[in-house]
Amino acid sequence: MIPNPSKALVDLAMKLSTGVLPEIGSPYAAANAGMTAVLLIMLSQDSERAIANRMNDIDELKALFADAAAFPDRVGLASFVDAEPDSLLLADVDRLHADGMRLLIDLHAWAESHDAGLDQEIWAFLGRHADRNRFDV
Amino acid sequence: MSAVLDTLGERFAAYLTKSWKQPATTLHIEQIPGGASRETYRVRVSIGGQEQGLILRRDPVSSLIDTERSLEYRTYEAVFPTSIPVPEPLLLEEDAVHLERPFSVMREIGGCESSAQSLAAPPYQTMRETIGRRKWEILGQLASLDLSELGVDAFMAVPDDPARRELEHWSKVIADDALHPQPIAEAARRWLERNLPEPSGRFALVHGDYRSGNFLYDEEGVIRGVLDWEMAHIGDPLEDLAWSLDPLWSWPERELAGSLLPREQAIGIWEQASGITVDRDAFRWWQVFASYKGLAIWISSTEDFVNGASKEPILAVAGWLMSDRQNRILVDRLNPRSDHAYAEPIV
Repeated sequence: MIPNPSKALVDLAMKLSTGVLPEIGSPYAAANAGMTAVLLIMLSQDSERAIANRMNDIDELKALFADAAAFPDRVGLASFVDAEPDSLLLADVDRLHADGMRLLIDLHAWAESHDAGLDQEIWAFLGRHADRNRFDV
Repeated sequence: MSAVLDTLGERFAAYLTKSWKQPATTLHIEQIPGGASRETYRVRVSIGGQEQGLILRRDPVSSLIDTERSLEYRTYEAVFPTSIPVPEPLLLEEDAVHLERPFSVMREIGGCESSAQSLAAPPYQTMRETIGRRKWEILGQLASLDLSELGVDAFMAVPDDPARRELEHWSKVIADDALHPQPIAEAARRWLERNLPEPSGRFALVHGDYRSGNFLYDEEGVIRGVLDWEMAHIGDPLEDLAWSLDPLWSWPERELAGSLLPREQAIGIWEQASGITVDRDAFRWWQVFASYKGLAIWISSTEDFVNGASKEPILAVAGWLMSDRQNRILVDRLNPRSDHAYAEPIV
């Protein structure tokens, strides 16, 4: 087991930026090294939160779907509300998250013309979703 | 030089010798960053005993934007004689036999910077207003050029409805390339479909990626070359203006568009140079479209990095970092109760 992998990724990014990049002569290779360091930091941030963020989204989607009583295609929403990921492996969480986002797209399209309150709730969700996946680099 | 670059330099010199019927020798060749849609090399050559600086742009194994090289090259040829500063196009070679992939050659414009980040640091920081004025003046001039005189209508389609065509194009890119459902992009697409502007009837050569980072500037604040015309097309000139003002290009500094000028000042300069008064209703649409198109490009970059042959870091930076920012911009623009943390209200 790697202890604290997100910190390890940041440490490696710093090593690349300060210990390797200044020694590179080619501007193209130096630019690539700099971008790779940035990507390592982004991977560090995302690896730490990826499952938690998707599970937060899934929980919020379930709450949104449970409130969407007037939506004509209730079956898909109801099925999602009862669903759980097959495991906490990222690939399994991702699969359920994708299912929820697909349902959200249909629900949002409907809400735009039928339910202004729900439309606003969905926009608020999308704002939280975007904010919790932000990168600070 | 590495062995790979040595070989490329030798083959390039052989090609120049044959094309220009003069003995050519590569004195120095180095790959340079930028120009993400093509591999870009700075080359010093001796041609008939005279030293010259050239820029070699070769098709990559995989690209940030899928583009047509001959369209880009012919656009450079069309624009070069005008008041719009661009590098002089010298050669287009579509036969992969010479350098393994097709390529084009431009004359180098030396002594310049292109980085958008450098605009905020010495020695260029004090030249920002000068550069900004020129940036939107050039864009306004581009909007005023006659398409037939330019000759671009000979190789570019003139759309009946530029806004609809662009929306359909970039919607297909998202539909084809998204690796995960995109509820923000989808909400933006629906908004754009609901609010499509009437065609203005005004057609211009649209650069397609006119922003800080895509032009060469010097320490006197002179813009000496507009680069990266690979997304050029005939369309509504408001498209370029909106793209140039997207908050992404000044992130996180909201006050100065493109890190250069206040937005309204930039719009005023563009209006004066183009002779066009911005239709604010239509412009609202083009601003949302600019962020949507950006997101489409970043989604496509992500797909390219994951599934493509190239593992260039620029594809992942564009795909991951820019998607994050562009998503936040779009939510800010379209959420009726936005607090506008990332994008100004569209007026």
